[in-house]
Amino acid sequence: MASETPNTPTLRAVETLAWKLRRRQIVGSRATALETLLVLRQVISKSRFSNMEQLVSIIRSVGRRLVEAQPKEHSVGNTVRKVLHHIREEYHTATRGSAAASYSAFSISKFVLLGQPRKQTALPKTESKGSLKENDPDDPDSFARSLKPVLMEAIQDVLDELETVYDNVSKNAQNHIHSDEIILTLGMSKTVEAFLISAAHNRNYTVMVLETAPSYGGRDMAKALSGAGISTFLVPDSSLYGLMSRVNKVILGAHAILANGGMFAITGSLLAATAAHAHSTPVVVCAGQFKLTPLWNLYHEYGALDFGDPSQVLGFEEDSLVDKVDVVNPFYDYLQPNLIDAFITNDGDHPPSSIYRLIKETYDDEDNEL
Amino acid sequence: MATETPTSTPGSQPSQKSMTKAERRELQEKQRAAKLAQPADTLNKPKSKPKPPAAQKKYPPGPAEANISSADAFRSHTKDATSAPAMDSLAEASKSRSLRIFSHFGLPKHGPGVKGDIHPCIVRLALQFSEFKICGANARCIATLIAFKTVIQDYQTPPNNTLSRHLMTHLSPQITHLVSARPMSVTMGNAIRQLKLEISGSDIDMPEQDAKDLLCQKIDDYIRDRIIIADEVIQDLACTKIKDGDTILTYARSSVVEKVLLSAYKQGKRFSVIVVDSRPLLEVSWTLSDDSLLPPPPPIPCTYALLPALPSLITEATCVMLGAHSLHSNGAVFSRAGTALVAMMAKQHSVPVLVCCETYKSSEGVMLDGFSKNELAPSHLFRTTLPISPQGANLEILNPLYDLTPPSCITAVVTEVGLIPPSSISSIPTALGKINL
Repeated sequence: MASETPNTPTLRAVETLAWKLRRRQIVGSRATALETLLVLRQVISKSRFSNMEQLVSIIRSVGRRLVEAQPKEHSVGNTVRKVLHHIREEYHTATRGSAAASYSAFSISKFVLLGQPRKQTALPKTESKGSLKENDPDDPDSFARSLKPVLMEAIQDVLDELETVYDNVSKNAQNHIHSDEIILTLGMSKTVEAFLISAAHNRNYTVMVLETAPSYGGRDMAKALSGAGISTFLVPDSSLYGLMSRVNKVILGAHAILANGGMFAITGSLLAATAAHAHSTPVVVCAGQFKLTPLWNLYHEYGALDFGDPSQVLGFEEDSLVDKVDVVNPFYDYLQPNLIDAFITNDGDHPPSSIYRLIKETYDDEDNEL
Repeated sequence: MATETPTSTPGSQPSQKSMTKAERRELQEKQRAAKLAQPADTLNKPKSKPKPPAAQKKYPPGPAEANISSADAFRSHTKDATSAPAMDSLAEASKSRSLRIFSHFGLPKHGPGVKGDIHPCIVRLALQFSEFKICGANARCIATLIAFKTVIQDYQTPPNNTLSRHLMTHLSPQITHLVSARPMSVTMGNAIRQLKLEISGSDIDMPEQDAKDLLCQKIDDYIRDRIIIADEVIQDLACTKIKDGDTILTYARSSVVEKVLLSAYKQGKRFSVIVVDSRPLLEVSWTLSDDSLLPPPPPIPCTYALLPALPSLITEATCVMLGAHSLHSNGAVFSRAGTALVAMMAKQHSVPVLVCCETYKSSEGVMLDGFSKNELAPSHLFRTTLPISPQGANLEILNPLYDLTPPSCITAVVTEVGLIPPSSISSIPTALGKINL
């Protein structure tokens, strides 16, 4: 089928992104999410399809390709899922119009009988005869033509959300940080940086930044925060426990938030969260909604599953050692939900226990496996 | 015959008027002490010449040294030696716009000028301390004691004075100089206290050279008994806890843990080691390159990682072995920064934590957190690994050197008196009969 295989320029864009992901030329969840979204927009605008199933399968195949290229960047898959969710929503409103309203009406008896209603339950296609005509034998492109403008709008919505994510995460910052508090953070997270700088407009507080070996992202963070006029202390990772008794709050960034309320975050986060737990210090995670991932990590204590360059830990200048010592440089930690007190997202603040609900609302169940 | 007063020999000391108030008080106290001592002396040794007061020194007290050389000042100095330089750095810290809660962290003063009569080997040692060339509780203690042996051998009791009374006043400026280079470790404090005891107890009648030899012998005994033999006993005890196939996790570089691992390996035990390390000192990479942890052939299988990777590695460990800087009577272990994190993670994963520590490291005080007393690593020494631009007005770099591991995270402390739970650390001095402490 012609519509199944995207034309070559689109294919090339997908492949380029896949290679960039694989070579880690694009890293960081927000950057990858943005790139994925741009590629998806190109795919949708260029591809030909005559019904919903074809469109979904095109997007899914692109998504699968990108996720396989870099399975550790969860935001790629999340973006694809989010786009699929929006596409279905637009499709349903376009096909059913006012009829949808009566369907989605809640009733207690139904709730008890059927459980929580899902507004995204896909309806059989035969019902969907509105202004749209699917599988029109005379004009196979008419469906795509009429749907594309709404789809572009939907993607633009996702894009806008991504672009305003820092502002929205940090809009309530001053409610979370009080004057004269000592905040501990680590690594380089743009979200946390925006959050702390936004809080500094109204509050006068101190930040301690762990260096976060071996990437030493904490140094960049400390520079950025001190440049914004926040009193900043840069401390080595080893002093974490000693300082924790004086810290009022630990603020972390996330790599991916999982369905059980746990998260993947840069190495060192688990140490910080555990030390905070030992001192009963609250742990707050700042993250955009695109990091919500419908995945579970119940059994991998080894949260890493991804390893960085060992030369950051022990360089080749120690040549006598290179063949004698195993050097490990895990990239991520897995934090269990019980170590986290709150997630601050661009969609409000949530406890880890309600993350699953957020995920259900954000994505369609059928997309959990792309 | 015994009525000669110090003022009757005015030529050998500064006139009363030119002395400071403290000097005058010191002089008075010594005169009083000398008078008290005289009846006893005259009874025992009627033929011996009366002791002139101690103020008649070979070196007349310079105005700068006079205050410190008084015995009282010295005693208070050894007691809270680490807090003394901290007070000095307070002014420095408050000058920069830092948090007040950090103001008590002791920063070593840079380049202390040599003032007074400091022995060259002490000057050298102080330099090695301040540049972290000699680092670690055991190494510093041994280096100090060996340097003191040289000082004692080169010491000449001034005429009309006794070794047991004067040597300590000679040593105290040396100690002050060492402390100005880097705050004194608990081990050094304990050793110096012991040395002081030996000096004050040395026989007055003994010929000077014999007394000096005896003191050096005592110092050698202390090093042998409390450090070297103690380490050997600890090695034997800790080795029994290592089995074939174990994975031992260790943090930073402890000389005792290193010896334990090597001796267990020599006994034919086959185990692997995970070495965790962290800034600011990054001690282990030196250890590894020393080849000391990697005896040929076959080497101990080693894994090396930095501290943030610890949670990923702790699951593989069967035992955690740590070194210590000092033990406190509430069972807390004061050690290299990061040790507490390792112990905490080990406890969370139910991995036993053994702390290898000689009893001479025990300190009688109670410590509740690693924040109340700490030391900062001078950042200029560790700048090489820190490619950061000149500090902005709001940015400060702190490198605390120590932290405190709470007793709840420690399974047992391996000492030369056996493996004991942290709750029993307070009984060590009693168990040793308190003779040596």
